[in-house]
Amino acid sequence: MATRTVEVARGVPELAAERAVTWPRRTKARLSNGLEVILAESHSIPKFHGELFFRSGNAAVADRTPGLGEMTATVVRTGTAKRVSRQIEEDLRRIGADLSSSAGADTSAISFAGLAEFPEPLLGLVNELAREATFPEAEFERERRQKLEEVKLERTQPGFLASERLRKVLFGAHPYGQVSPSEAQVAAYKREDLQAVYRESYAPENALLLLVGDFDSQETLKTAEKVFGEWKGAKPATKTSAAPPNPRGRRVYLVHVPGAVQTQVLAGCHAITRKHPDWVKLGLTNSLYGGAFNSRLVMNIREDKGYTYSPRSGVNALRQHGYFSVSAAVRNDVVAASLTEIFYEMDRLRSVPVSRAELADAQNYLSGVFSMGLATQDGLLSQLSTVALNELPDDHLETYRQKVRALTPEDLLATARKYLDSANMQIVVVGDRAQIEEQAALFGELEIYDAQGTRLS
Amino acid sequence: MKRLHIAMESTTLANGLKVVIAPDSTAPVVTVGVYYKIGFRLEPRGRSGFAHLFEHMMFQGSANAPKMQHIKLINSSGGVLNGSTSYDVTNYYQAVPSNALERVLWLEADRMRALKVDDENLKNQRDVVKEEVRVNVMNQPYGGFPWLDMPPVAFRNWANAHNFYGDFADLDAADLADVQAFFKTYYVPNNSVLLVLGDVKAAEGIALAEKYFEGIPAGAAPHFADPTEPEQTEERHGFVEEKFGTLPAMAIGYLMPKRRTADWCAMALLDQALHGGRAGRLYRDLVLEKQIAVEADGGIDDIFGYNGPTQMTTRILHKPEFINETALAAFDLVIREVLENGISADELEQLKVKWRSDYYATLEGGRGGYMPKYGLMHLLACFTLFDNEPQLVNTILEGFLNVTREEIQAAGEKYLRKEKRAIVFRNPVKAGLPAKADAKEAA
Repeated sequence: MATRTVEVARGVPELAAERAVTWPRRTKARLSNGLEVILAESHSIPKFHGELFFRSGNAAVADRTPGLGEMTATVVRTGTAKRVSRQIEEDLRRIGADLSSSAGADTSAISFAGLAEFPEPLLGLVNELAREATFPEAEFERERRQKLEEVKLERTQPGFLASERLRKVLFGAHPYGQVSPSEAQVAAYKREDLQAVYRESYAPENALLLLVGDFDSQETLKTAEKVFGEWKGAKPATKTSAAPPNPRGRRVYLVHVPGAVQTQVLAGCHAITRKHPDWVKLGLTNSLYGGAFNSRLVMNIREDKGYTYSPRSGVNALRQHGYFSVSAAVRNDVVAASLTEIFYEMDRLRSVPVSRAELADAQNYLSGVFSMGLATQDGLLSQLSTVALNELPDDHLETYRQKVRALTPEDLLATARKYLDSANMQIVVVGDRAQIEEQAALFGELEIYDAQGTRLS
Repeated sequence: MKRLHIAMESTTLANGLKVVIAPDSTAPVVTVGVYYKIGFRLEPRGRSGFAHLFEHMMFQGSANAPKMQHIKLINSSGGVLNGSTSYDVTNYYQAVPSNALERVLWLEADRMRALKVDDENLKNQRDVVKEEVRVNVMNQPYGGFPWLDMPPVAFRNWANAHNFYGDFADLDAADLADVQAFFKTYYVPNNSVLLVLGDVKAAEGIALAEKYFEGIPAGAAPHFADPTEPEQTEERHGFVEEKFGTLPAMAIGYLMPKRRTADWCAMALLDQALHGGRAGRLYRDLVLEKQIAVEADGGIDDIFGYNGPTQMTTRILHKPEFINETALAAFDLVIREVLENGISADELEQLKVKWRSDYYATLEGGRGGYMPKYGLMHLLACFTLFDNEPQLVNTILEGFLNVTREEIQAAGEKYLRKEKRAIVFRNPVKAGLPAKADAKEAA
């Protein structure tokens, strides 16, 4: 609860009339080989940004071993039938391009940006990586050893340990339950396993090519057909995964980091995906709760109480399931006090309707920030990929603001009651056990783990 | 070759405030920045971390917009905001739908005219800043490495060598009188620049700047401490314990030339040759080929935005089966190779194309992807405050594209010298590094 009354500003200029937001025209096409292409022009700088997505990530092959999608993507860029690793890197530099390849839970992607004057060489290289990666033995071995060091290192980061534990608790044996492989799993990676993933997933019928930048869409579409047209391959069969657990009642998971001088708090519960009809409602509710600088949670535990620098909440929309979470890195002696306020603000939204004025502020925020994506090439690319990968309606960009504006205090109350599931939040605290165990135990039955994931008590 | 030209208009108001307007109607969004020419380098002695703490105080209330109101008014107009402190400047910025432009200018003018904060605000933000330091530095593996570890090793002048985030004792000692004195000294219109970028017409932007800012009285021209370093004549070493991480680490920093000299352009290209991602010589050699390091990156930080001694810094995290000396020897070989053989015409051509492409990306680049035109704003601000020439944003590229192989080699010989560098070793306390005798040698 805030302890200080808020004074209002005097003499603030009114807002002028809103200027219309016009999203650029999208050119959508399917190449002769089934590859879906979406292009949008943006002439802000003489460059273009692109992403070649594959609709299979780590989750699709988690039944083999965790992180296999990511490892495959990592090694993809290290050699093709035509170019060795060093050649690839120098050729990229020669055309002023950046490129990365990675995989998340639901997609694998080759992301790139380059000068507008060299579209064909860059798309040509992307095509080569998508079709003719050779997974050279020595490159694979180096990346595997590199990965081993990375998975050891991430266990020393409080943010990683917190999200790893929360995902385990919320998703259990579902592929979303393991965010990163163990050392033993990385040690057992085989080059052949990567090649199998590559053969199955990196196929045009499983892919989406997005291009945004300083080009003529029709001309670039022709270039894409010329470059990618010969590539063939079918969509892999989709597997259904076991339903994730549905934890009832608050429980607390303490990850013990000896000597930690701060505690990472993370609490979460199941929510919805972006395709769900309640998505916009939950987005607005979240922005009021802890999703914006002037949200209730930030004003409370940062600006009023000074417990933390970086509190925030968000809805994490994975493709099959979404979850709501709230996090803050707090001073060790205010772990219990911070959790109390985290739940207080959740319960307040669940019991008292928001005022019209506060609702209007939040509506303005969400619709204003949404349009920022228009201003830059990579911002626009990210908006377009959200729409396409989540299979949202074509007019999503044009209608979103209107949907936000239509919501009422009653909508928010119902949404908070449904999804800010205060009574069933799963709480993770990462810190020094000696300093925080008693505080943590006040909020539910306590399980204690070390940073390696071994249960201590 | 397609060139980018940024249209702009600039002026100086009667109170000395510089104004730059860069219109672009691509999106109905406007980015507004106010830069003050004071960073953590020149904050008061005994008050380490104060420039940054003060930045937080600028969000704590002004004469007509009390605590929380600035943030609330920007967010509820559909915008985002933040501020940051660096070596030589502190900035405040927001991106909003363009119908909120007047409101933003009113807010920025209000806090430039009269900051209004109390002890409770100061205590609150001191607590917030301590958690910021914990989450970014004290409770993170390799937190602050090397940006906080390097200065005390590399430099002798307090201005360059102190803890920029601040010793907690210094943060605790700061009081409201310090806040007001700092505000009065440095936060005067004649020590700052206002930038308006995006959906605004040039004449309108200038008229609005006059309307809201012209009435703010000028202050005395601030006196700046001299950040000059005594000449470095020996390699310097420092050691920091890594409390959480699993890998031995080191950072090597070489003192760089002054901004806007021929050497500066040459070193920027050499930086690109050495760092510059997976194609860079250091990553290629240490990570990809010899496989000693897990990470090898770095460069000249904020190359357009420094106004005092600065370094090109390489940050290396290496595998625990190697000792620091092995990794350093491999690093030294890469430097020696480029000094002895220079770079080829083909390599230089690649570097220039990449440099140009990166420059455009910098102009468009946001902060964390949410602040359109942050990069352009930053460059315009630095070129105005340090050079009084915002148009440099359209011409500065030439100097880099004209660099020759000979200039790069000469600059390398002049600046990549052991007696001009400092090295910080940051090794894990608990990892049990192998003793020298049975450590592996690099392949």
